[in-house]
Amino acid sequence: MSDSKSKSAYGVAAGDTDFRKNWDLDEYAAKAKEREAKEREEGKARYEAKLAGKKYHKPLTGNETYTSARRNIIDVSAQVGKTQLVPAGTGVGKRGKGAGFYCEACDLTFKDNLQWVEHLNTTQHLLNTGQTTEVKRATVEEVHDRIEFYIRRKEDLEKEKATSLHDRLQLREEEMQKEAEEKRKKRKEETEKKRQEKEQAAKVKTEYGEDVRIEGEHDEDDMMAQMGFTGFGSSKK
Amino acid sequence: MSKFKNDTVQADARRFLDDRGSSAALAPNGLNPATIMEKAVKDRIVDSYFYKEQCFALNEADIIDRVVEHVNFIGGTHGASQKPSPFLCLAFKLLELAPSDAILNEYLSYGGEHFKYLRALACFYVRLTRQPKDVYQTLEPFLEDRRKLRRKARAGTSLTFVDEFVDDLLTKDRVCATSLWKMPKRETLEDLEILEPRVSPLGDLEDLLEEDEEENNDDRANGEREESGEISEGEMEVDRDEDRDDDWRSRSRSP
Repeated sequence: MSDSKSKSAYGVAAGDTDFRKNWDLDEYAAKAKEREAKEREEGKARYEAKLAGKKYHKPLTGNETYTSARRNIIDVSAQVGKTQLVPAGTGVGKRGKGAGFYCEACDLTFKDNLQWVEHLNTTQHLLNTGQTTEVKRATVEEVHDRIEFYIRRKEDLEKEKATSLHDRLQLREEEMQKEAEEKRKKRKEETEKKRQEKEQAAKVKTEYGEDVRIEGEHDEDDMMAQMGFTGFGSSKK
Repeated sequence: MSKFKNDTVQADARRFLDDRGSSAALAPNGLNPATIMEKAVKDRIVDSYFYKEQCFALNEADIIDRVVEHVNFIGGTHGASQKPSPFLCLAFKLLELAPSDAILNEYLSYGGEHFKYLRALACFYVRLTRQPKDVYQTLEPFLEDRRKLRRKARAGTSLTFVDEFVDDLLTKDRVCATSLWKMPKRETLEDLEILEPRVSPLGDLEDLLEEDEEENNDDRANGEREESGEISEGEMEVDRDEDRDDDWRSRSRSP
């Protein structure tokens, strides 16, 4: 095959097809062979499992982690008000990316949060994301530590609450002052910028008197005056 | 093989609820933890969004997170759709997890000191699964816990206390949409010499009764002399009863 590649169908190499991509056929052949071998192996394992009357499961890789509880409440309103491009032909079935909650690991889209949560809890999803479906039990020490953590958090919150009204008012005042200062600074900078621009413009005008016209400089203005308007929207000159 | 792996537990309740026979071990009181709650309630719990979202893949330590963040009332099911409360969902999760006595002790004493709903939940679980002797011995100390609890029932929300809740657990046969298994009475266990007689923090019960009787006798002796006094006292008692009635109603109405 490879020697026929350099020649065209008419026996002479075509010179004008150099822009085409040259595929490395050997590499792809090797890849295909590998994939086929893998598929055959899996098929054999499936067949054997069926003969033994068992269900076939993909062998574990050994890198799986234990399933752990969610750390936060699932935020179902994160995509509200966002615009998304959705490929044509979606909206039928769950397969592929579409409008809704999309699971990358399983390549599925769900239309409501109940289905979404149910999917996140399925064995299929857990295995696809590299988790076993088992949860590690906590020891007594872990339980003790967790309780301690929450007690500390509670105390911190109470301390925050316990700051007196006077202190809170002072804090608030300081914040307000800071904000006001920043606003003032910004305003000052802007006015300074405007003033400089104006000065620059005035300087240019004084440098060229009305009678010292450079050829072609004010042609546009003249033309516009002739046609009966003075500018494009802006009132500045 | 899975029988020997005691350091893990399944993330979902599918195997736990399998009708062909649960693989879970029996509770210490000999009941199957998968059938302690009623079927209808169990189905509602498993279908509820809270259970699916927040009770998935919890272990014993994560239970504390959920109690602290999500449980702010006790109760079974509420609302027209009989939605199960987070309290009930977590109790079901505890049945699934079957925590050890040491962990329960952490919940009850160390955690319970600071988080009253954690104590209530652990008390409920102990009542459902432990032997009568252990139930009495673990729950009775909490009859002195006077912190307030919010209780949501089908009728509405009401105020209750930890000691009241524990007393309900020890004496009533239905709490939080769960029928509690029939436990022998305390007197029976005392007669069998399994339990020591309980000393109430109020003092000896018989002494109290005697004192009451003596007071009554004194009252009667006084009453014979001044009949008018007794009548007025009787009226007052009626008034007091009415007051209590009003109080109870307003309480049940308050959110």
